[in-house]
Amino acid sequence: MIRKIAASFLMLSLATPAMASAASVKIGFINSITGPEAPIGENLTNGVTLAIEELKKKGIDVQLLKEDDTGKPQISMSAMEKLAGQGVAGVVGPYTSACANAVAKLAEKYKVPLLVPAAAKEEITRQGLKYVYRLNAPADKYASSLIDAALSMGKPKSIAFIYENTDFGTSTVKTAKEYVAKKGIKIVADESYSKGSPDYRSTLTKIKAQNPELVFMVSYVADAILLMRQSREIGLQPQAFLGGGAGFTTVQFAKETAISNNVFSTTQWTDDVSWPGAKEFFNRYKSKFGKEPTYHAACAYQAMLIMGETAAKGGGDREKTKAALKSGSWKGIMGDVKFEDYEGFTNQNKHQMLVMQIQNGQFETVFPTNFASKKPVYPFPKWK
Amino acid sequence: MTVFLQSLISGILIGGVYALIGIGLTIIFGVMRVINFAHGDLLMVGMYLTYNLFTILGIDPFASIAITIPLMFLFGAFLQKIFINRMLGALPQNQILLTIGLGLIMSNTMMLAYTSDYKILTTEYSSSSITLAGISISTPLAISFLITAAITAALYWFLMKTDTGQAIRATAQDREAAQLMGINVRWMSILAFGLGASLAGTAGALISPTYYIFPQIGGTFTLKAFVITVLGGMGSIIGATLGGIIIGIAESFGAVYISSGWKDVVVFVLFLLVLLFKPAGLMGKSRM
Repeated sequence: MIRKIAASFLMLSLATPAMASAASVKIGFINSITGPEAPIGENLTNGVTLAIEELKKKGIDVQLLKEDDTGKPQISMSAMEKLAGQGVAGVVGPYTSACANAVAKLAEKYKVPLLVPAAAKEEITRQGLKYVYRLNAPADKYASSLIDAALSMGKPKSIAFIYENTDFGTSTVKTAKEYVAKKGIKIVADESYSKGSPDYRSTLTKIKAQNPELVFMVSYVADAILLMRQSREIGLQPQAFLGGGAGFTTVQFAKETAISNNVFSTTQWTDDVSWPGAKEFFNRYKSKFGKEPTYHAACAYQAMLIMGETAAKGGGDREKTKAALKSGSWKGIMGDVKFEDYEGFTNQNKHQMLVMQIQNGQFETVFPTNFASKKPVYPFPKWK
Repeated sequence: MTVFLQSLISGILIGGVYALIGIGLTIIFGVMRVINFAHGDLLMVGMYLTYNLFTILGIDPFASIAITIPLMFLFGAFLQKIFINRMLGALPQNQILLTIGLGLIMSNTMMLAYTSDYKILTTEYSSSSITLAGISISTPLAISFLITAAITAALYWFLMKTDTGQAIRATAQDREAAQLMGINVRWMSILAFGLGASLAGTAGALISPTYYIFPQIGGTFTLKAFVITVLGGMGSIIGATLGGIIIGIAESFGAVYISSGWKDVVVFVLFLLVLLFKPAGLMGKSRM
């Protein structure tokens, strides 16, 4: 009995310090920590870790409640419900479009400010939700910035699409299709695939038979490498390969120089861009985690900084945090951030997308010209 | 026509590897009546083994199967002796939970050891191909198909002609009768699981030059192996070989003539049709 009492006192004494520090603010973070999306999820986690350190330096003590959604919307939703019940001031995440979209409606229901750092599906900020904010540019910008780049380099007349049949893939390609229709480019192939299959050769052969001038792909990491390898194998030879985000922007993809050279991709962030703190963030990240950050890390970092600062100012109050997110503006490693309502979007940051090309295993920013570090290579050189 | 032939050949080549995965599962099921839900994870372990042999010791992925086969055999035999063996008489759902659990332990251990990053094995021939009359044949896939064919033939010979092989088949046909005939069924079970694991590991080694490696990859292949085995008839090696190639071709044609997003639908519709008209699978039941 005495032991039990002693044990409960011990528990109490352990629990009190966390409760005593009133300056701390509770923030939820939903991410794909395990599951198939985990490799990219790790970038978000690391970005958030750096943001928490940064906030601590500014005297803001964040009590971070991490939830793993394993990339599944239903788990993501229960994570959100759990966090809402734990009294968080706001939530950052989730990573994937499908999860973020599912969670967005719940955020509205529970009146919890949600800041989506890197999910691209347009709908997320297009349904008039007052509590949902998004830092990154939505999927339509992925497509339009790439196609604009291709149009400024040559006169492509035909385009083939190959993309993952997930929210991210289909929504990116849907807007891309609308955009190319406006620009008078003919769609000669439209192929969605389910990810994780070891063989895309048959699909690529079908595309090759149409002889498109542009090939637009949307995939996560591993499929991006596989698709390019197999394109080379069967000799698919367009004027340019356009990689719509995610898999084509990773360092790992760039390292496979035999297949990744001269592929265009678009991203939310690079380390050579002239936004304040971008290079320092890159260095800090690399020295701490031993690898280079992707744009996801930068998005998550900036999102957590904004959420932390705003929530601390509002004293952990959800309504105050929501109002401050709406009225505030920030400048940081993601450039200027302001959540605006425009063209059917609500609380959407007008983020400038960057177009890159892989040259000798390095990502070089090639568009827009004021941020460019190298000249683009066009058309795509013959496969060796 | 080129597109047709191209997709046919791609389908057959990838089907060969599927067959290898299916054969492993079918042997395990045949001998022990245990459905091994960790099969895909065994394949994943084989992939990491190949990856390490290649990156650390510089051994070519195809040559490395000479090391992968015995190692995976020992690993499989170990799993059987320590875990599966205790569950042979248990309820099927308990056996399933055990194998799922083993699979989870394997994938999460790998995640701890290697992180969840995708690993890509890049060899000189990873994206090379041979072009024959306008049809390109992936070099690594062609090599792995030849190896698969050789292994399947050797395995068939082993099971049909050798005493041990016959003992394994006898155990598969009737465990108790086999025991009464003086066959050491415990030993046969260990052998069967070892064989199954080494086949899965070999399949992993063979696809690693063209595919990618990450700890969660197992699930996809467990499902595929399951479909292949049931399609071919559980316990039948010829059935699994046939099943693997049929699934490979169905995926390939489905992707070309319908849509890549629909190719799994094609596979599963085919699967259901076979089960509808031949519930025991293509090659009947438990004849090896």
